[in-house]
Amino acid sequence: MEKIKDERLQLKNLKNIRITFIVQTLGILGILLYDLINYGMDGMTNNPVWFVFILTGVINAYLSMSISVEHEKTKRSPVTRLYISLGVITLISLLFVTFTALTNGYNVMDGLLVGGIVFVCLVLPAFYMYGLRQKERDE
Amino acid sequence: MENKVKIARVTLGLTQQELAEKVGVTRQTISLIEKGRYNPTLKLCLEICYAVNQTLDEVFWQERKE
Repeated sequence: MEKIKDERLQLKNLKNIRITFIVQTLGILGILLYDLINYGMDGMTNNPVWFVFILTGVINAYLSMSISVEHEKTKRSPVTRLYISLGVITLISLLFVTFTALTNGYNVMDGLLVGGIVFVCLVLPAFYMYGLRQKERDE
Repeated sequence: MENKVKIARVTLGLTQQELAEKVGVTRQTISLIEKGRYNPTLKLCLEICYAVNQTLDEVFWQERKE
């Protein structure tokens, strides 16, 4: 198949892909809903389609960050914002550590594990946003 | 978006197909641009101007409508 060079057709192709994505997502949601109704929450999360759905959600969230950064109106420096984010993330992680450790059947190690996972999951997007803000500032 | 692509093309004696081949798009795209039903990118506008030996001003400029 010949590569499309016409910009109008490339744009049309992108719009078609968007429609395909919507249909595909609706299909995935339908399958997951079917699993949820018939086999419960575990049945739904055991389906590989659940992994695909979560993965696309995460990718979409990361891609949306670049748009959010360009849309920001605040003049605060990226470094200040990173420090604020790190402070909030540390606080949230400590809350997870505390509440998990205080829950019956779990100890401090479990708390640290959960808190550590939460910290890593939140710190990665924070540094990614910092990188995007720095890049946007240099442009 | 209104433009003078058709006038410029006809002045040079080019068909839509010939202009399309010169700028690397399909004939339908040229047709839609001439009808004002597709807004080309600046890159494509420039390619069209190069093909018809005219400036952007001459082919695409419009006075602001009140």
